[in-house]
Amino acid sequence: MAVTHDVPDQLGELVTTAHRIREAIESVIEGKGDAVRLTLTVLLAEGHLLIEDVPGVGKTMLAKALARSIDCPVRRVQFTPDLLPSDITGVSAYNQQTREFEFKPGPVFANIVVGDEINRASPKTQSALLECMEERQVTVDGRTYQLDAPFMVIATQNPIEMEGTYPLPEAQRDRFTARVAMGYPEPTAELEMLDVHGGTSPLDRLKPVATTSEVRALIEAVRGVYVSQPVKKYAIDLVVATRHSPDLRLGASPRSTLQLVRAARAHAALSGRDYVIPDDLQELAVPVLAHRLLPSVEAQGQRRLPEQVVTELLRRVPVPETRAS
Amino acid sequence: MRLSIAAAVATFSSAILLHPLFEGGGWFWGSLGAVVAVLLASLISGRLSLPPWAALPVSVLALGLYLNVSFAAEEAWALFVPTTDSVLEVARLLATGWADIQRYAAPVPANEAITLLTTGGVGLIAIVVDLFATRLRKAALAGLPLLALVTVPATILTEPLSWPAFVIAALGFTALLLADGRERVGQWGRAVLVRRTRTTSAGPRPGATADTRGLSLSGKRIGFAAIAVAVTVPALLPAMEPVSFFTFGVGGSGSGRGNSISIPDPIANLKGRLELPEPRVVLTYANSDNTPRYLRIYALDTFDGDQFGMTQPEGAPENRTDNGPLPPPPGLGGGVQLNNVRTSITISDQITKLSFLPLPYPPRQIRVDGDWRADVSTLMVFSTRDEAAGLEYDVATSEPAPTARVLDSSPTTRQGIDERYLALPDDLPQEITDLALDETRGARTPYQAAVRLQRFFTDTGGFAYSLRTQGHSSSALVDFLVRSRAGYCEQFAASMAVLARVVGIPSRVAIGYTGGTQIGGRWTVGTNDSHAWPELYFEGVGWLPFEPTPAGTLGQGSARVPEYTQPRPEATADPSSPTPDETTGGDSEQEAGPQNRQNPRELDREALLADGGLPPEESTPLAARIGIGAAAVLLVLLIPAAIRLVTRSRRIRTLGWKMSRPADEVTAKVVAGRHPAVAAAWAELDDALYDYGMAREPSETPRRLARRLTEQYEFPAEAAAAVTTIASAVERVLYAREPGEIPPLGGELRTVRKALAATVSRARRARAVLLPPSTMRRLRRLGEGVLDGFDRLENIRLRRTAAQKGA
Repeated sequence: MAVTHDVPDQLGELVTTAHRIREAIESVIEGKGDAVRLTLTVLLAEGHLLIEDVPGVGKTMLAKALARSIDCPVRRVQFTPDLLPSDITGVSAYNQQTREFEFKPGPVFANIVVGDEINRASPKTQSALLECMEERQVTVDGRTYQLDAPFMVIATQNPIEMEGTYPLPEAQRDRFTARVAMGYPEPTAELEMLDVHGGTSPLDRLKPVATTSEVRALIEAVRGVYVSQPVKKYAIDLVVATRHSPDLRLGASPRSTLQLVRAARAHAALSGRDYVIPDDLQELAVPVLAHRLLPSVEAQGQRRLPEQVVTELLRRVPVPETRAS
Repeated sequence: MRLSIAAAVATFSSAILLHPLFEGGGWFWGSLGAVVAVLLASLISGRLSLPPWAALPVSVLALGLYLNVSFAAEEAWALFVPTTDSVLEVARLLATGWADIQRYAAPVPANEAITLLTTGGVGLIAIVVDLFATRLRKAALAGLPLLALVTVPATILTEPLSWPAFVIAALGFTALLLADGRERVGQWGRAVLVRRTRTTSAGPRPGATADTRGLSLSGKRIGFAAIAVAVTVPALLPAMEPVSFFTFGVGGSGSGRGNSISIPDPIANLKGRLELPEPRVVLTYANSDNTPRYLRIYALDTFDGDQFGMTQPEGAPENRTDNGPLPPPPGLGGGVQLNNVRTSITISDQITKLSFLPLPYPPRQIRVDGDWRADVSTLMVFSTRDEAAGLEYDVATSEPAPTARVLDSSPTTRQGIDERYLALPDDLPQEITDLALDETRGARTPYQAAVRLQRFFTDTGGFAYSLRTQGHSSSALVDFLVRSRAGYCEQFAASMAVLARVVGIPSRVAIGYTGGTQIGGRWTVGTNDSHAWPELYFEGVGWLPFEPTPAGTLGQGSARVPEYTQPRPEATADPSSPTPDETTGGDSEQEAGPQNRQNPRELDREALLADGGLPPEESTPLAARIGIGAAAVLLVLLIPAAIRLVTRSRRIRTLGWKMSRPADEVTAKVVAGRHPAVAAAWAELDDALYDYGMAREPSETPRRLARRLTEQYEFPAEAAAAVTTIASAVERVLYAREPGEIPPLGGELRTVRKALAATVSRARRARAVLLPPSTMRRLRRLGEGVLDGFDRLENIRLRRTAAQKGA
């Protein structure tokens, strides 16, 4: 798409950096451009990502590749039923030498935290992580520890129907900015995967392409992306539509509006625009909104997924426009 | 029960439309009574569950009884049981009413006979409406008899129906339909009505619930909308001249108000006009042979001993000037040469209260606007509702130009001439009789007597013209004829007419104007040309004007003596009765008079056409009317196209506007989304898409639209770039912080239009131009807005009712 006006310098930098990161990730995960782009969007929108799919499609690989391509601390937590909250946040341990309790930061103290199979952990542990996600701080024994920016949780999750899982309650799903399904790769991509992954893990070859400070600057640039009044109204219209849809038992929360607009900003910035257009919202509505919605009994009966409902709403809600001068 | 009442209400509310036809309110109460009688009959037959075929006689019986009680109670037994006498009385009244209606122009006096006729008519309509609505359960069909009722005033009156009355009538019918609908739906139990919601709105509105309040909401809404459209749309359309199909007659012994013409005192007017210090122009005319002619207004036919007066003229509907040739001139037979002359006359708009047309005699066909009718016996042309002021009209005359020989041979036995033209008072002074006989002694034919009388006034009698003379009683007549011998046209005309009657020649006095003076190709007639002259009747020739008033500077300036009254010496010297050969077949120029034929009216038409009567273009031919109608319809149909063109040209003009880059951020914010050129381009693109049937989805963003068009319709690269440029410009204007430089979009818009047009069929393209769907959509939205307005009104009403019920 031809953009005839000047892209601000800051944005230009953002676009190139983001491009580098994308290329790096895509060198590991073939044929998942959309998922990669969405991951970057969520990163720049200061949100958290929920990757949901069957085992073995590269959920963890995506998370790891992102983490690896940014030169920043990355921690990975494998969620199991016996995982305790302190295993996430860290513990205060008595140091016999200093005779003081000393805080041992948990895996959450990193820029990127990969929570593998989050729905295998007990709800108590899950909520400990989710609290960190929202507050961006950890409180242990009455002391509060700020988390570093950027802070992004990439949680993977098996579909609910699988055995031995504790599905995330809707309140907790609401904390994730977006959910992405990896999906099976295309046959060609799978073939390429066989070639690439045949010998060594491509992750090993991945070199960081951006620094933490660079990412922080990107996030700062994204905050400056302009959202016009009609676009804000459109975002609200979309969210409100989910609340009134007869197909949904639970609509999207005000928090989701906030996150939708934030993600749209990042999406616009990644496209090299310093303003949000309705297309950004349309593209993000399904990943940002669908996982928060509960289908009504009728919709369940008709096997209509929230994704489909959101897609229909997108077709119905008119885009904002100011017609006459 | 409800249906019967609704039918009665509908009938009566339609009957209200009749009100401009009547004077007085008798018909109103009579009709109300008839409707109530029919209603009662309907309720009774409904209660008894009579079959439809039995209900009809019951209603008719009820109406008959009602009419009997109202109009013939005295003849009826015990005031209401019909007897032969009472039935005859009703029949007699009906006949009288029918005759009255034929005679009077609307508004007719609501006398007993006319009231009976109206009451009966409304009652019959009520019966039919009730039959359709209540018994046959076809409420919509009941509109037909109601329509028939409404047609009566619509066709009779030239003025449009008053719209409040129409609204009442339409509401009455709507109420009938509603009642029918309720009855019908009621059989299925309680109805649930879902309110109309806009399909484009995002889901149901917050708090919106299914509305079950107004059962008849939809019906009312449609009804109100239809009535509103019916009232307002005709006001916006160019008016068509109404054509009356059947009309009330004129004349009779009316009260003199409205329904009959007021007869001025022509003679009193005449002197006043002649004495005006500064003559004023009354009319101008031009005719085909450029010869001045007397223009007659009134013909005074009765003489009461004092003065001549006029019998009330009668204008039957079939003698309207619109209906082609006028009745044939009385007495005109074959064997008389006719001069066919066409005259176009323009009446000054200063003339007031003139409801008779000044015309040369005898008029055969007149082309004039308005309801003008000819009196059969005098061929005066008058109107009961129009005035002549400012009128322009054409008249064709067939002026008899008889030779002295023809006149001499006029038979003395007269048929078809009213005795009133010979009537003289019993106490006519003997001097006058003697004078008449003296002066005509030796005359062998009426014609010779007439010539001698005229010569007596103009020549041998030693009369002088003077306006100073007064009076026209019989003593004044004697004074004038025997003693003073000085007077003006009125005395001359009246005297000669009286003398002619004495010697047995039917006569009357014509009042009008002389031929006037020629100014610049047209003859100008002023108040000083006012004139009176006698018309004498000769069998076979008809009425001929004579001129006893002295002409020239010493007399009536522009008076002229007719040629046939100045017989050549040999004609008078040889008054031998001519042979029949000479009179009937002698002259090849002579033509057969119309009265010899079986159907004078029909043949007149032919004769007129053959003689060059008024050319046929005068009345618009049917084909032309159809053409005009079709053109009007076409014009109406082209309105959307015109609107579309105007909108587009306005937008294209807007496209040229330059927007300078805003200086500061505040201005930029204000300007954002208000870039007129881009808004115009976007709106135009939107409309063009709609016109070509590839409408933009409301949820489609500019960018997405551009992509869809490019992919779906396989745009060439140029068009694809153009639509992308437009979309990008729109996007930036609408959503960006500041839109930046916007290139002129006119060229892009054209490219896209062309590319779009190339993808659709020719028919679709034609439709986009002629009947643009985008304009229709706009009109539809307008209509929806109006409907929403009705909804809101209805909501207010419902809420109020609910509040009252709650209270």
